[in-house]
Amino acid sequence: MPRCFVHGAGLRMGWADMQFSLPELIYQAVSAALEDSRRHIGEIDSVVLSAHDLVDGRSLSSMVTAPAAGAYLKEEIRLAEDGLAAVSLGSAQIEAGEAELSIVAAWGRASEGDHEHTSRAMLDPFMLQPFALDELSISSLRLSEWIARHGECRESRQRAVAARAGRAGRNSRSVQANVRPRVEFPLHASEAPRFADVAAAVILGRQESPVCITGVGHSAESGELGSRKLGAMRALREAVSRGLAASRTTIEQMHLLQLPGPTVPDEALALEVLDLAAPGEAFEMYASLAHINPSGGGESGWCFPTVGLLNFIECYLQLTGQAGDVQLADRQRAMALGVSPAGAQIAHAVVLEAA
Amino acid sequence: MADNDLITIPGLWNFQYNYFAGATASRFFNALRHEARIYGTQCAKCGRVLVPARSFCDACFVETQGWIHTGPGGVLEIFTIVATQFPGLPPPPFVIGYVTLDGADTAILNRVEGVDLGDIDVAAKKLMARVRVTAKFSDERQGRITDFVFVPQSPP
Amino acid sequence: MSRAVAIAGVGQTKYLRRHAELSGAELVRQAVLRALRDADIDLDAIGLIVGGVAPDALAGVNHIDLSSIVRPGTPYFRVNTGGATGSSALLAATSWLRAGRCDAALVVALERMGHATTSQKVFNSIFDPIYEKDISLSTISMVAMRATMLMQEQGFTVDHWAGLAAKNSKSAQLNDTLDRPRLFTAADVLASPILAWPIHALEACPMSEGACVAVLMAQPLVGKRKVAWIQGAAGLTDTYAMGDRMRRPQGSLVDLHTLIRSAEKAYSQAGITRPAEQIDCVEIQAPFASAEAMAYLALRLCEARSGPRFADTLIAGTARVAVNPSGGPQAANPVSATALIRIAECALQVRGMAGLRQQDGIRRAVATGQGGATQFSTCVVLGSERP
Repeated sequence: MPRCFVHGAGLRMGWADMQFSLPELIYQAVSAALEDSRRHIGEIDSVVLSAHDLVDGRSLSSMVTAPAAGAYLKEEIRLAEDGLAAVSLGSAQIEAGEAELSIVAAWGRASEGDHEHTSRAMLDPFMLQPFALDELSISSLRLSEWIARHGECRESRQRAVAARAGRAGRNSRSVQANVRPRVEFPLHASEAPRFADVAAAVILGRQESPVCITGVGHSAESGELGSRKLGAMRALREAVSRGLAASRTTIEQMHLLQLPGPTVPDEALALEVLDLAAPGEAFEMYASLAHINPSGGGESGWCFPTVGLLNFIECYLQLTGQAGDVQLADRQRAMALGVSPAGAQIAHAVVLEAA
Repeated sequence: MADNDLITIPGLWNFQYNYFAGATASRFFNALRHEARIYGTQCAKCGRVLVPARSFCDACFVETQGWIHTGPGGVLEIFTIVATQFPGLPPPPFVIGYVTLDGADTAILNRVEGVDLGDIDVAAKKLMARVRVTAKFSDERQGRITDFVFVPQSPP
Repeated sequence: MSRAVAIAGVGQTKYLRRHAELSGAELVRQAVLRALRDADIDLDAIGLIVGGVAPDALAGVNHIDLSSIVRPGTPYFRVNTGGATGSSALLAATSWLRAGRCDAALVVALERMGHATTSQKVFNSIFDPIYEKDISLSTISMVAMRATMLMQEQGFTVDHWAGLAAKNSKSAQLNDTLDRPRLFTAADVLASPILAWPIHALEACPMSEGACVAVLMAQPLVGKRKVAWIQGAAGLTDTYAMGDRMRRPQGSLVDLHTLIRSAEKAYSQAGITRPAEQIDCVEIQAPFASAEAMAYLALRLCEARSGPRFADTLIAGTARVAVNPSGGPQAANPVSATALIRIAECALQVRGMAGLRQQDGIRRAVATGQGGATQFSTCVVLGSERP
C-alpha cells in the first residue's frame, strides 16, 4: 500500500486584514504551501478542501473559493468538516493510487462572520435552541461535569491557562488580536480560545519526503446531546486509539500531541481521557507536559473548520525543525487531532512520523 | 397522525456578515465611484485582461499586473429577461446579461436597461444578436457594481 | 494498488415537497434500512459513512447531518459541493475503499428543503458577495443565460426545451419514488408563464426533500451479490466566474468543459471508446432541459453540431440510449441528494431492479453530477462487468 508524504505547508493567520478578500488569503496560503514544497500548480492532481458555508457567509462557498485554492480544472472535493478530515481523504486518494500530488486546504475567517448565531443554529430547534446554547456552552457543560467530580480547582486551572498563554506567546504564528467568544460559568474568559482568520494548506504526495503519514483514525458520537457523556470524549478516544493502531504506535511514543480544544478545559480534560493524566490531574498535567500543544492551542488562534489542519501543520513544522521558538527537542512522532462542532461529536486523528 | 396534530416551529435565519472586498476589489469599486470607469487587471502568464479586476489569475495561479481601463463599449454575450417575481429579488421584468467590454478578455455581469420589454419574445430575439452595449453610469454613485448599467448602443 | 468497488444496494425515500411526519434522522433511517436490506449487509459491517448535505440554509439547521446521519462509533465526514454533493460524496467513499481502509461504506444524502419557504433567495446567496450579489443573479437566470447561448450557437429552439421537459415528465410517471408527478405536453410548457426568458415555469422542478443512500462494497466483500461495478469516476472543478468562461480556448460557456473532461477520465478508466454505442443508459443531473442538452455533447452521445437532432430523437422516443428513465431532476431535485439519485437510478438499471422504469439490456450506465453554476462536474460509469 503506497504511503502518503507531506511535502510542504502554508499558513495565513491574522485578524480583520482589510487588504485582502477571503479568496485572496486562500490563494496566498496555497501559493505558500506550493512554494514550500518546491512544486508547481501544474503538478497537482487533486484538491481536497475543508470549508463551511455558514462560516464563509456564502451558500456554496467553494464556488468562489475552490479556484483560489488551486482547483481550476482539477479533481476537487470540498468537505464541510474539520480540516483534518480533508487531510485524511487526501491521503486516502494517494494511498489508492488516484493522485500523485495534492493540495489540502482549510479556511475560516472569524472576523467576517457571526459565530455566536451560526453556532446556535446547529442545535435542535425544538429542544435546545430556545435556551440559546452554542458551541462554547457545550464546553461549559463538559467542565461542570468534571467540577462535580473534582471540584473547581481554580489554581490548577489558572496554571493551565498561564501555560497555554505562555506557549502561544512564544509561537510566532499566533494571532495577535485578542477577540474571544463569550463563555459562561463555570468557564472563565481566559479559558476561551482566541478567534482568528485562518487560511491553511499542505501539499501531500506519493513521493518520499522527510515526513510521512503513518496512520489515521476516526470516530463519532450520538447526535443527541443529552445521551452523551461529554467528559468521556468517546469519539476523541476512539479516533486516537484507531490512529495509533493503524500506525502501530502508542501514545507514549508521541513526542508531540496537538489537541483541538477549543477551551483550556477541553484541551486538558482530553489528557485524562487519553490516560496521560490521572483523574483530577488534567490541569496540572497540561501545565507541566511541554509536548502538549506547544503551539498554544486555542490561544494561538481558533476558527472552525481549520483547527485540525492547523494542528497537522504544527506537527509538520515540529517534525521538520521549523517550529521556531516553540520547537521541541524530540521530533520523531507526532499526532494531530481535529474535531467537529457540537462538542467534538466527530473526531479525527492523524499520526505523522519523521523519516 | 392527523395533519392538525403535526407541529411546525417557525424560524428565521438572519446572520450578519461583513465581507472584506480586499484592496483590489476596493480599488475597482472606488474607480466606479470616482472615475466612472471599469478597470481590469492582466495575467502575466496567459495575458488575459480580467474584468472585474482580480489580484490573481485562478487559471494560471499567478498574480496579475497592471490596471487597465476597459469599455465603456462592449458586446452583450448572453442575457436573460427575468419575468417573474422571486421573493427577495427586484420586481420584473428586467434584463441581466454578461458583457465583454472592449479591451477585456472576460465578461462582466450587470443589468441592461433601455430595452422595450412590452413583448418579451420580441425583445429576446433582438438581444440574441449579440448587440453592442455601453456602460452608463448613474450620477449618484456609491462604489458598488450597481453604479452602472448597460444600454444598447443603437435602440433595439 | 486499487481494488474494484461496487454499489451493492440502494435505498430511497419518496421525494415530496414536505415530509411533515418525519425528522431528518427518520428520513435517513428509512433510506438506510432499505439500502442495507438491498445490499444484504448489517450496519455493523459499515466502516465509513459519508454524509452529503448541500446548502445548510435550505434545511435551516446548521450541521443538520450531526443529528441526522452520524452513527456512534463509525468514522464520518460530510461533503458539500452544492448540486454535485451526492456524487462527490460517492467519489470520496470510493477512494476510501480503494485505499483499503474498510470494505463497506454508506453514502447518505439528505435534503431537508421542506423546511424552507423559498429556495431562490437562498440560491442567490451562492454568488460572489463582492462582485455579484447586488445584481440579483439567481440559478434560474443563470440557466436562462446559458439557454440563450445554446440557441445562438447551436440552433436549439424553445420547442426543444419544451419537448425535452415533456419527455422527462412522461418518464417520471413510472418512478415510484415520486408522489403524483406532473404530466404535461410541450404545448403546456410553452403556455406556462416565463420565469426568465427562455425558461418557462413548467420546466422548473418542484422543491422536494428526502434521503438517498448507497451501499458501497469493495471487491472482497461482494460475493454472489448482484452489484453495479464502478468502472470509472471523476469530478472536476472550473473557474467560478461565468464571465471568464464565455469564450475561452477550451470552449465556450455552454461547452461544459469540466463535464467533458470528467467524462474523458471516467470513460478512459472504464475502457469506453465509442460512448454513443457503448453506453445504454444515462441519468443527467440537469434541472432544466437546456442544461440537459449541454450534457449530450459533453458525454459524446452525439457529434458536435448535432445536439438539436439528437434532442429530436429523444423527444420522438427513437434514440438508442435511454436518457433519464427516472424522469430526471426535473421531476424531483432534492439538492443534496440529486447527484446520488442519478447514480442510484443507474445502479438499479444495471442490476435490473428498476421496477416499472426498467429499460431493456442495460449493461452500462453513466450518471452526471453538477454543482454551482455548472462549475463542478462529476461523471460516474457503472456496469455489470467488474473492472
